[in-house]
Amino acid sequence: MMKATSKEKTFNMVFILPALILFLVFNLYPLLRTFQLSFYQWNGIDKDMIFVGFAQYKHIIFNNPAYWKSMLNAGYITLLCLTLQNGLALLLALLVNRQIRGENIYRVIFFLPPVLSGIVVGLIWKFIYDGNFGILNNWLVSLGFTSFSDFAWLSEIKTALSSVAVVHMWKGFGYGFIILLAGLQTIPTELYEAAEVDGADKWQQFINTTVPSLIPVFTMVTILTILGAMQIFDLIYSMTQGGPAGHTDVPITKIYQYMNNGEFGYSTAMAVIFGLVLLIVSMIQLYASKKINK
Amino acid sequence: MLKKQSFFKIVLSLAVCISFLAACSQNQEGGSGKSGNDNNADVVKIWHWMTDRQAAFETLAKKYFDQTGVKVVFETYAPTDVYKNKITAAASGKLLPDIFNPIADKRELASYINAGYIADLTDAMNDGWKDVFFEKSLTQNMFTDNNEWNVKPGIYGVPLDVSTLMIYYNKDLFTKAGLDPEKPPKTWAEFIEAGKKLKAAGIQPFVCGFGEAWLIGSFAASYQWSLFGKEGIIDTIKGKIPYTDKRWLEIFNLFKEMKDNKMFASGIVTMVNKDAERTFAIGKAAMALNGSWGVNVYKSMNPSLNYGLMYPPELPDAKYPLLVFGGDGSSLFVNEMSPRKEKAIAFLKWFTQKEQQVFLAKETLNIPSNKDAAQDLPDILKKFSESVNRTFDTLPVLEAWQVTNYINLNLQSVVIGEKTPEQAIAEIQGEKERQTKK
Amino acid sequence: MNFFKLKKNILNSLTHIILIAVSLTCLFPVFWMISSSLKKQSEIFTNMSLLPETWQFVNYKDAFLTADFGMYFLNSVIYTVVGVAAIVLITSMAAYGFARLDFWGKNILFYLLISTLLIPIPGAFVPLYLLLKSLHLLDTRTGLLLCYISGGIAFGLFLLKSFFEELPKEIEEAALIDGCSRFGIYWRIALPLAKPAIATLVIIQCLNIWNEFLLALVVLQDTSKMPIQRGLMVFQGTHMTDYPLLMAGLTIATIPIVIIYLFMQKHIVKGIAAGAIKG
Repeated sequence: MMKATSKEKTFNMVFILPALILFLVFNLYPLLRTFQLSFYQWNGIDKDMIFVGFAQYKHIIFNNPAYWKSMLNAGYITLLCLTLQNGLALLLALLVNRQIRGENIYRVIFFLPPVLSGIVVGLIWKFIYDGNFGILNNWLVSLGFTSFSDFAWLSEIKTALSSVAVVHMWKGFGYGFIILLAGLQTIPTELYEAAEVDGADKWQQFINTTVPSLIPVFTMVTILTILGAMQIFDLIYSMTQGGPAGHTDVPITKIYQYMNNGEFGYSTAMAVIFGLVLLIVSMIQLYASKKINK
Repeated sequence: MLKKQSFFKIVLSLAVCISFLAACSQNQEGGSGKSGNDNNADVVKIWHWMTDRQAAFETLAKKYFDQTGVKVVFETYAPTDVYKNKITAAASGKLLPDIFNPIADKRELASYINAGYIADLTDAMNDGWKDVFFEKSLTQNMFTDNNEWNVKPGIYGVPLDVSTLMIYYNKDLFTKAGLDPEKPPKTWAEFIEAGKKLKAAGIQPFVCGFGEAWLIGSFAASYQWSLFGKEGIIDTIKGKIPYTDKRWLEIFNLFKEMKDNKMFASGIVTMVNKDAERTFAIGKAAMALNGSWGVNVYKSMNPSLNYGLMYPPELPDAKYPLLVFGGDGSSLFVNEMSPRKEKAIAFLKWFTQKEQQVFLAKETLNIPSNKDAAQDLPDILKKFSESVNRTFDTLPVLEAWQVTNYINLNLQSVVIGEKTPEQAIAEIQGEKERQTKK
Repeated sequence: MNFFKLKKNILNSLTHIILIAVSLTCLFPVFWMISSSLKKQSEIFTNMSLLPETWQFVNYKDAFLTADFGMYFLNSVIYTVVGVAAIVLITSMAAYGFARLDFWGKNILFYLLISTLLIPIPGAFVPLYLLLKSLHLLDTRTGLLLCYISGGIAFGLFLLKSFFEELPKEIEEAALIDGCSRFGIYWRIALPLAKPAIATLVIIQCLNIWNEFLLALVVLQDTSKMPIQRGLMVFQGTHMTDYPLLMAGLTIATIPIVIIYLFMQKHIVKGIAAGAIKG
């Protein structure tokens, strides 16, 4: 690209101006206001806000193990999503992209879980996991695993978190699927044509053309997956409320819990710390993908 | 290809035009500056979260308009969390409606009052109004002399209905297990015995929405009242009695005993109450700890459900009476800043009169807060309304929410067998000490 | 040759088996939702079959009327169409700028703009509410729309920038030499080239705005301006949920999104780069 003159540099700002203005007014300002709250002890209603400096941050870091446990829970869900959910999304995008029969039908069907209301998803998966008349147990028992006849998937320490993660992955893979599909479709056909002329077979085309072209989009999907999984909330709230005994608590359920108990200031401090953790994770991810790109 | 491209752009350009049009038409609208606290509109506005009562509310509002010419509008918002967010935001912008309920515990209610959002209704109440209510239904909204939160003593809310928690039992399932459906267990030993028989007959004995922390806490609290009494509970909150007290061990052991006898329905610790209600309604569990609202829920889910009511079973060594969770089901508060304060109070007076309360009770199958209206209720609701006198007393102090939360979490831990009762109470005491230090 | 044909057939069957298996898990909840919407309340938890005892088509009529869908529907359409169009325009312009152009503070501004993806503050609606109040935008459609649009910027920017960066630069450079303005290149070349990405953004943002209700309920006071999700609340009481009507309502509310998806996903098609050169 040609070097821009400083006049051009200024003019080019016009492209980002609308986004920047909206961001400053409607995103940054509320964000800074809430950030300010994190230094106050306040319940959201009282007239007086008590300035406490970094006391709440200190308390979160040193005296709130449950919060860090919830962070680990979210981390576990994220790891599952990165591997299984993204793997599935990529596999399906590649399969559908092969221009097989019924391609359009599959495209529509795979995006149904994201389209479905969270209410339906929560209800249906509770039916599936239910210990008494759940579909999963029914199925397992009919396969001969009779010990599962009253196994409550969402209430057992060993299975609760993974069970919730499965639902999150099921609800989310459709997003990765369409973004990756769009990525695959944006790869110029010339690249394949050229590769074919060079005598590359399908596998070589995949490794030498598809993969490198797809890396930026895949990086993006990965970051969105991380952010989505770390910020998981609705599903947990509707399926387990963080239970049994806090074993499916995630950062947002904790923040929410503190906010609902009149700890407005404290909960914003929790959110700021969470934001910093996410920032670090995303940075590592960006750095890693840049390395791979080279 | 060209055609496709131009189509794409036409769609985009059209959308831009629409957005400008919408923005312009908006500016005219925005000029009138309508808001919840509008001075011009002569309408009394009420925010409530029980959307299932909207129809009944509207009927009464219309009747009131016909009688007095005053227009009252009910706006209901659900789920509760969203409603609460709306209230918080409106309070911060000083745009609360004329009548509302902040869904707050006493501590938070005190904040609303001290910040000047809620009107003191003592004078209006002393005018004979307060005598129509169940006494217990008022205590929740009442602040006494020298209360912990420095609120001016008085009555601040108008109870709309009352609710209590009792144990429903399925008579048909009792019969099936060889139990007498007319003689539900009264003592703890009988309760466990009934549980064993039910389990032997392949029936899950007990269900409740233990995933909602307050329900598991309320069940334990019944036994706390029965073992400690009011003074003992206050002393525990004040830190004079530790949570490692042997009576607390006894309470946790009750849950362990139920667990050991496999009395809990599968998945009970993550069930929200709606799931628990479903389990009981379709006959998948024989007993359910649930509120008086359950009558309406069970009727809609399974009209032929044949059930009775019992109190939580008594302990043999209890020194104090066993009480149940309950009090005002939902109350209404008048906005102190509203220019229509008097109109709002007048409406609430009318709203809690016997005739209106009977109508509400019939339509929504809840126990009215008006004592007289409670006379002509269906049998099962009458039983509930009798239990109003056996509900927890209001305490002058409140336990730190973190400690309460810890109790509930540890109860869940005992139910799933993660911790022993001894470990659980030791941890609660640890949290209590951390909170006292803070 | 036969061997290759066999191999191809096996591969194809395997592909279809995987795809069909995943499809079934995606379809089941939809069938369940529709079947529940045709049942009676007392039947919904006792009759586990997907087929209702009697088909209660009247549920749809009841749901539509009880929830006042007629009124809310138009609002939702306005919010979604205007909001998504604005998001697409604003973010595609900015994303193009970040991907292709040089200006002051480029990197810092980019990370700043997408930083809102990182900090989820459940209480952030309170300062937003106060802000709208001081701008006299409370209880206005414009206010809500501005919240929606600004809420979609970070995601849109993040998504589109990667796509713009991947597009071949040669076409744009040729156009630049031909005397085309920067804006002209963005509008006539880059935007059509990024159609698959834009279609994806449209789908995801439509979904976000169509399903949003927390902000709408907090910001708006006047019920007649509220979106379709407000209507669904009627069926979910604190203690009572009218499942058949709720499911009927949800089905009604889901259909427009599925239609938008059907329409947009056609634009995620192959061979665009080639087409653009020829066009």
